[in-house]
Amino acid sequence: MSDTRRMLAEMADPLFAELGADATMDRDGARLEQLGLPALLMPEADGGFGGDWMDALTVFRLAGYHALAIDLPAMIVAKTAGEGTEAHFALMAFARTAQIAGALDAALALSVGYVNERQQFGRPLGKFQAVQQSLAGFACEAAAANCAAVGAAQALERGDAGFEIAAAKLRANRAVEVGTTVAHQVHGAIGFTHEYGLHPLTRRLWQWRSEYGNDAYWSKRLGTMVVDAGADSFWPGLTARTD
Amino acid sequence: MQTFVTEAVDWPGTAPDLREQVRALVAAHGERDPVRRANCWTKANPQFSKKLGEAGLLGMTWPKEYGGHERSQLERYVVIEELLAAGAPVGAHWIADRQSGPLLLRLGNEELKRRWVPEIARGEAFACIGLSEPGSGSDLASVRTTARRDGSDWVIDGQKVWTSGAHVSHFMIALVRSEAGSERQQGLSQFVIPMDTPGVTVKPITDLTGAHEFNEVFFDAVRLPAHALLGEEGAGWKQATAELSLERSGPERYLSSMVLFLELVRHAETAQDPALAELVGRLAAEAWTLRLMSASVAAKLARGEDPALEATMVKDLGNSYEQAIPQLVQAAVDWERIDAQVVQAVCFYLLQVSPSFSLRGGTREIVKGIIARGLGLR
Ligand SMILES: Cc1cc2nc3c(=O)[nH]c(=O)nc-3n(C[C@H](O)[C@H](O)[C@H](O)COP(=O)(O)OP(=O)(O)OC[C@H]3O[C@@H](n4cnc5c(N)ncnc54)[C@H](O)[C@@H]3O)c2cc1C
Repeated sequence: MSDTRRMLAEMADPLFAELGADATMDRDGARLEQLGLPALLMPEADGGFGGDWMDALTVFRLAGYHALAIDLPAMIVAKTAGEGTEAHFALMAFARTAQIAGALDAALALSVGYVNERQQFGRPLGKFQAVQQSLAGFACEAAAANCAAVGAAQALERGDAGFEIAAAKLRANRAVEVGTTVAHQVHGAIGFTHEYGLHPLTRRLWQWRSEYGNDAYWSKRLGTMVVDAGADSFWPGLTARTD
Repeated sequence: MQTFVTEAVDWPGTAPDLREQVRALVAAHGERDPVRRANCWTKANPQFSKKLGEAGLLGMTWPKEYGGHERSQLERYVVIEELLAAGAPVGAHWIADRQSGPLLLRLGNEELKRRWVPEIARGEAFACIGLSEPGSGSDLASVRTTARRDGSDWVIDGQKVWTSGAHVSHFMIALVRSEAGSERQQGLSQFVIPMDTPGVTVKPITDLTGAHEFNEVFFDAVRLPAHALLGEEGAGWKQATAELSLERSGPERYLSSMVLFLELVRHAETAQDPALAELVGRLAAEAWTLRLMSASVAAKLARGEDPALEATMVKDLGNSYEQAIPQLVQAAVDWERIDAQVVQAVCFYLLQVSPSFSLRGGTREIVKGIIARGLGLR
């Protein structure tokens, strides 16, 4: 990680944790503005932060991790692409992908912490193999969503990221299913309460899965892209995008 | 919590040339039949392996002194993902090039290295893995095959099972109990056993498709010289499990059904069925993600890190993916169409072999148990 990106993370992480799921634009918007976060992607010459797509990934992911109730990613993207355009839609799909990745990691951390604490049958739930196996599956899905988000950011850095954003949003969407199901299952009834901090993550996850292209939308688009290119172009095309 | 930290993979500048080289070689000497291209890293073709050796594509990262080519780990990764994506018949040399050669170079004495490594790099010596026994599957620490000292020699007695490619291999690296009365992980050692040593018997096991890919191997007073001991006496458990992380992380853990995905795309080109396009999209997204994850693990290995947890996750996700493809294709394609013959042949073949994907190299349950431990459970 670059030094500026580490600085950015060290600034955003505690702030988003503090604001979290209760943040409101009226009360907290000014603090985000003060730190220059909405101008993250604008060039320094224009008074922006001059961040790149990996920086954006860091901020979007942390916004998801802390279920930040202000749609900071949308504010950031609005400054680089006009609303209603194809580019705006794709960049917001990337933002939601990164938010999903962050929120899945947070829900996983919450779940692992909980099953190591909660005792039933005289031992922590985390000792039961059935619980371990479902959380392992969840961890793999969270890992896949995170890698997909990174891959999309890297592609944006390289230039055309149409294929990667489609693939990444679709993969992250699919991870939401296992992630939210397992997180709620291992928490039992407590996770179903308004008081406990799981629902700010899982309810956002369900929302982000359908925003800016649900599974059907992206699988159709990506599938059409691949079929139109033809079977013999798939692998050479995939490797040429990173070589 | 972030369980899988990906970094940009620095793909080597030589990658495009290497890909061209592999593609040309596979086009000239590979398999034409799509069914034979499925699950290709279990398909032995010694002539093809020899061609790869002649082209300098085996033992790529090994020292020149031992017949290697001193290329980078990622250059090797490029070559193996190309071979797998093309369904090349790489089964004969796969294990030797992936793990036996590196293990010999890391732990072997000079005699073992000189005897085997250059021949592996030429594509002329093949290896098999002797871990499983009739009473010892997931619970590997229960192995009972023994090695007993006799003068300066070792004498091996016992049996291995499910040994892939034992019938085409020149040597086995076996995990055996070298200390009488020892228990579990203690007292185990690894030995390099030439398959033509008197007392070694290989008996074929026919799999459910009727193919002969794995075997039983019996050891009846097999006498080996002192230098057949690989690494340290009694350190076999540690050595063999370190080998597993090499074994688990490669692109072969998600590409075994790639040929079926490609045939699905080819079929979708003419079938004009929106449901097929959607399935293609979903499977393409997964392939793209898995490639990123697998390459990221390779990049970490290349830097000398041991991303054991990440490697295990790639195996679990990859196996689930390559196992799901034939099921999803079966459910989606209209089998009444006469132009579905090729995709059908590959699909129905893979339906039968895919149960093995989440068994070989550690079962799904064992792999998930390792991930759970990595998460801090237990
Ligand atoms: C195609 C193929 C090739 C192979 N090649 C080789 C080879 O070259 N060399 C070699 O040494 N071996 C090889 N194997 C063997 C392979 O490593 C074993 O099949 C595997 O380790 C499982 O052992 P097992 O078959 O005895 O099943 P078992 O260990 O008996 O397991 C049966 C089932 O029970 C589950 N189970 C077992 N223990 C637990 C537990 N503690 N908790 C929860 N569930 C559990 C397993 O996950 C599995 O689902 C190969 C296997 C296959 C299918």
